[in-house]
Amino acid sequence: MNVLVPAAPILIVAIGALLLMLAEAFGSPAKAAEAGEGVAALDAGAGRSAELALGASVILFAGAIVSLAVWWAGAVDTALPGLAPYLVMDRFSLFFCFTLCLGGALSALLAGGYLPEHGLDRGEFFPLILFATVGSMALAAAGDLLTLFIALETMSLGAYCMIGLRRGSARASEAALKYFLLGSFAAALLLFGGALLYGATGHTDLAGIGTALRGMLGQPNGGTALAIAGVVLMLVGLVFKISAVPFHMWTPDAYEGAPTPTTTFMAVAIKTAAFAVLLRVVLTSFGSTELVSWGTGWPPVLAVLAVLSMTVANLIAGRQSSVKRMLAYSSIAHAGYALIGLIAAAEKPELSASVLYYMLAYTVSTAGAFGTLVLCGSRGAEAVSYADLAGLGKRHPPAALAFSLFLLSLAGAPPTAGFFGKLYVFSAAMTAAAQNPAIYVLVVVGLLNSVLGAYYYLRVLVFMYMREPEPGAPIAKPMRSGYVGFSLALAAILVLALGIWPDSSLDVARAATLTGGP
Amino acid sequence: MFQSLGTVVEHYVLIAGVIFTLGAIGFLVRRNVLVQLMSIELMLNAVNLALVAFNRAYPGNMTGQIFAFFIIAVAAAEAAVGLAIVLAFYRLKGTVMSDEGDQLKL
Repeated sequence: MNVLVPAAPILIVAIGALLLMLAEAFGSPAKAAEAGEGVAALDAGAGRSAELALGASVILFAGAIVSLAVWWAGAVDTALPGLAPYLVMDRFSLFFCFTLCLGGALSALLAGGYLPEHGLDRGEFFPLILFATVGSMALAAAGDLLTLFIALETMSLGAYCMIGLRRGSARASEAALKYFLLGSFAAALLLFGGALLYGATGHTDLAGIGTALRGMLGQPNGGTALAIAGVVLMLVGLVFKISAVPFHMWTPDAYEGAPTPTTTFMAVAIKTAAFAVLLRVVLTSFGSTELVSWGTGWPPVLAVLAVLSMTVANLIAGRQSSVKRMLAYSSIAHAGYALIGLIAAAEKPELSASVLYYMLAYTVSTAGAFGTLVLCGSRGAEAVSYADLAGLGKRHPPAALAFSLFLLSLAGAPPTAGFFGKLYVFSAAMTAAAQNPAIYVLVVVGLLNSVLGAYYYLRVLVFMYMREPEPGAPIAKPMRSGYVGFSLALAAILVLALGIWPDSSLDVARAATLTGGP
Repeated sequence: MFQSLGTVVEHYVLIAGVIFTLGAIGFLVRRNVLVQLMSIELMLNAVNLALVAFNRAYPGNMTGQIFAFFIIAVAAAEAAVGLAIVLAFYRLKGTVMSDEGDQLKL
């Protein structure tokens, strides 16, 4: 089979990114000078956010549609000549390529409204978001430590630049600095883990590592110590990217300091890609019987992380005064819920379908929630705190209605995508618990946390519908932008569609699961 | 399998482990961002050393050595972005100490 066909989703976004970079660099500076209000006139891309956002989102939607087309054409091949084992374009990769393109496109559309509104009208954001999406897609499709590392860095370097986009803001550069330092540290840990695994097994491809570890860990001698150290370091590096407690310290700061479209991209695409690669690594490379057992393997470690992520994040989220920071903590809690599905998948690999569905539901709900925050602010006054949203239900009913829908989905209320995401994760955990009763504890903790989480989501609703703004307080006015409106409408339709027809999308997720070890 | 690597390889891997640990300690203890960046470079170079040393134990392929080249290239890109961020931070704050970044809090 032609190599180009299965790899088409990644190639389209990559080539589109290069073309958009040229379009940004060689755009007409005259036009930029007209629109350049408070923008450095040197930037050729200045003042052209709207058209670049359109280009970026068209490329990303094309990537998503091509992923679907490749899926339906059945053009999936796990051993592509010249690509294997570096890129594995199976249904699992295609599912995540679709989700990541969707998340990236929603963020790019939000940026098309946000950047001009807040005096950040600089074109480099859009090539960066495309390159970061290429990195995240390659990360989801990575079948070798080499691709994994390069894709991870491609994704992260783009994100660092997008966080620091507002160069004049001390908060933005502080956020970028914190994320950069901790991200590079985690990448170095991951690499050293990879080097140790290479030393222990002689392989850098994930399937080869899995086969070699399977034979190795049963014996008392051999490179066991080396392999175990490698597994631990790899897991730390990956868990950092999904921002599970206690590796979450960067998350609230980076999410709060970044421009909101960047925050959306980080919450949506980076977390989803990190979950994809975590699933593939733990099920393909660390899928041997010893490593998935609760006595000697990784599931109890990740279970502790899941419990901590949900509980700590939910407790802290309730005490925030900034809605943006609250959503950052909520994204940490959601990493905890999704980890429950991952632990269930350790018992039966096909249960990982719940994680896939969860990430899709989480993508549309979170993109919508951050998108409404973008919508609610306008020039000079971003809506970030609860007080900014007071009385929104009266002042701007459509925005309040959309925000309510996305928050209810995040809280897990039916009939939204978030409800079925939680339902499938918990029912997968119940199935797995039949084999291993320890997982019941996770289900109970997860359910209690869902109740705890509902508190701070509903608090936003209380502010929107039952409070009036303080007299004299600066009121954030909702902006008018077709891009943001379209992005929110699409997210809202998907949240409802996934909630009304959950079975068909779960069937798709089931077809996309990895079949387990090599 | 570790025993079969031979003494020379073992020594190199031990050195790599020591350098990596030093880098990690430097990153966690020091507050000067530039020193922290150097510590990260130290950790990445330790990874390169380990990969090249391990490659001697698997003479059938060159994976470890090729991997090291990729790490060198990506580390350069990472340093470029990192220094740009540090520069932006320094222009606004007038310092390169990472604990001066304290505006984003609860």
